Amino acid sequence: MEKDRSFRKRGLFLGVFIVLMLFFSTSLFAQTAPKTVKIGTVVPLTGRMASGGKDVKVGYEIAIKHINDNGGVMVKEFGRKLPIELIMLDDESDPVKTTARLDKLYSVDKVVAYLGGYSSLLNVAGMSAGEKNKVPWVGVTIAVEGPFKRGFKYIFAPFSMSSDQVRAFYDILDSIPKPDRPTKIAHFEEQSDWGVECGRYIREFAKKRGYTVVTDQKYATAANDFSSLILAAKSAGADALFSVPSPPQSMVIVRQMKQLDYAPKVTTLIRGPDLTTYWDAMGADANYILSDGNWHETMKYPNNDKLVKDFYALFPKEKSIGLPVGAAYAAVQILADAIERAGSLDRDKIRDALSTTNLVTVRGPVKFRPDGTGIISYGLRQWQNGKLELVSPPEAATAKLLIAPPWNKR
Amino acid sequence: MKARRDIKTILILVISIVFVGLIPLFIKGEYVLNMLFLLCLYTILSHSWNIMGGYCGQINLGQAAFFGIGALTTRYIWVAGYPFPVALIAGSFSSLILACLIGIPTLRLRAHYFAIGTLGVAMIALITIQNALPGVDFLPASLMSDYNPTIRFYTALIVAALTIFAVYCINNSRLGLAMKCIRDDEEAASATGINVVRYKIITLMLSTFFAGLAGGLFAYYYVSYYYYVPFELMWSFDPVLIVFIGGAGTVVGPLIGALCYVILKEIFAISMGQVNVLIFGVVFILIVLFLPKGLIGIKKR
Repeated sequence: MEKDRSFRKRGLFLGVFIVLMLFFSTSLFAQTAPKTVKIGTVVPLTGRMASGGKDVKVGYEIAIKHINDNGGVMVKEFGRKLPIELIMLDDESDPVKTTARLDKLYSVDKVVAYLGGYSSLLNVAGMSAGEKNKVPWVGVTIAVEGPFKRGFKYIFAPFSMSSDQVRAFYDILDSIPKPDRPTKIAHFEEQSDWGVECGRYIREFAKKRGYTVVTDQKYATAANDFSSLILAAKSAGADALFSVPSPPQSMVIVRQMKQLDYAPKVTTLIRGPDLTTYWDAMGADANYILSDGNWHETMKYPNNDKLVKDFYALFPKEKSIGLPVGAAYAAVQILADAIERAGSLDRDKIRDALSTTNLVTVRGPVKFRPDGTGIISYGLRQWQNGKLELVSPPEAATAKLLIAPPWNKR
Repeated sequence: MKARRDIKTILILVISIVFVGLIPLFIKGEYVLNMLFLLCLYTILSHSWNIMGGYCGQINLGQAAFFGIGALTTRYIWVAGYPFPVALIAGSFSSLILACLIGIPTLRLRAHYFAIGTLGVAMIALITIQNALPGVDFLPASLMSDYNPTIRFYTALIVAALTIFAVYCINNSRLGLAMKCIRDDEEAASATGINVVRYKIITLMLSTFFAGLAGGLFAYYYVSYYYYVPFELMWSFDPVLIVFIGGAGTVVGPLIGALCYVILKEIFAISMGQVNVLIFGVVFILIVLFLPKGLIGIKKR
């Protein structure tokens, strides 16, 4: 009897202990979930890079709306879905302000990750802020490979890199039947690390694939007159042109080519003609111009149709969608996926999850190399009567490449 | 009367510097440090323009070249392994040397021609760097691992305090008096025995030295940037804007101007978004129209 009572007492004590332990373990150790997952970005909404920045902004906003309409991202450590809160600031296209405002997002707003801005000039400042503050940074429209060889840990670029873009240019030249195929390449080399890097690849690939670079002209990043370069290309008989100008420069180049009556069969200007606003500014002169095509509105990947539908609902007057819209959308998908896999809002865990990304985004499958550069499919788009058509790679093409006729026959 | 005014100015300056130095102790975070660093950077840069433009009346729009060469040299020497103070001084002297090579010949030009000539110097420097150094200047991993924004801010604060002290000394010296005479009437100054060319050269040397110091601090603070960024023309125009907002030819004016330009502009930018560019532009026009002596002129009114 006495034994029973003692046993019961012990049992009661043990039961109370377990209940107390459970209570404390849930109340003391469980973390209170934040209301949102804060992600920060600094985008050029004013200044010389604003045209690209606006496309990036739209891509981010549509992607976050889609994720939040489904309840947000699942964060395992809090046991529920949390909506994404995007804090977006303008850097006025000034890299000094990019750094300052990314520091604000880090120390004041306590964001868990950064999304990139637009253009290498501003993204370089963004990358250093990510690495300095140890905040994972997922870039959009960053193609230069050089910075990724410095052993950075927090920087990711799910974008077509310089070598991808140059390879796409030569692939499309190779696809043209021999009598029409251009063989003499003109290269206008922007004096930026990206421009120089592309120049190196242009010369390397030309040698390997049997093309001749007949003119290799350099220009400053702030240049606004290309007539001497164009005349040099014309007099050298170059029938294909490659360059990576800034958006305003891409317009000047094409206008001056028209004035000087220089019409190579293939003109590839990686940056500028890829933007939504290019046709508005150039009209029919934009026809036949090729630009980066690592995303296209006709791609059959999940959610792409939703993105396209929502974009045209927001901007019914637009005829095509700029490349950065899709790239920005994909960057949000990649980050949201990493947060879900990390199961936590810890920046280091998100970084680790990003490095093992294997996701099908609106632009297709994305993985990362150990240096943070993306492994993605690449291609080229061409303006054809007001629409940006995907002309490469052949398996995804929406239209055939059109060889540019002389200016007086357009 | 003058002595009392001087003591008042010194007190205001000392209290302001101490106040700025105490802020990070109470408000923590990289953002605050970044803003305070920019405040110091723009104070030094605008004072460097103030010496030449505010005191001596020479509108120099080539400050970006001197700022940029200071940044380039400082970064190069510092990354090569020399202590930062050595690199900073070397960077400032490199600006001074550039001033001797390119700046002094432009002093032959007068008034608007001098402004256009110096702007030409800045543009030549920018284009040269864009072509010669197209890449990105990354801080090496060894220097990045012990990156501390607090140390960088206090370094900038010390340099800013020394710059303000130097400008205060210039303001109260024979040199300052000669500079103001040249500003008010170059011919009259020459007629009274002031060696105009000599004083202009001294002013240019001092101005470019401080611009180089500011450039060196830029190179110390920023982890990565395109080589041409410190040569961009905004480093020529921003100090002019700041000095006109605060008050040209004064010791306190550039500090007030920098405060408005950095802190107020940031508040506008964060709270109002893209409209801030328009609002700040209108505020600047109103200041130039109604307060030609800058914000410091309100007190004198």
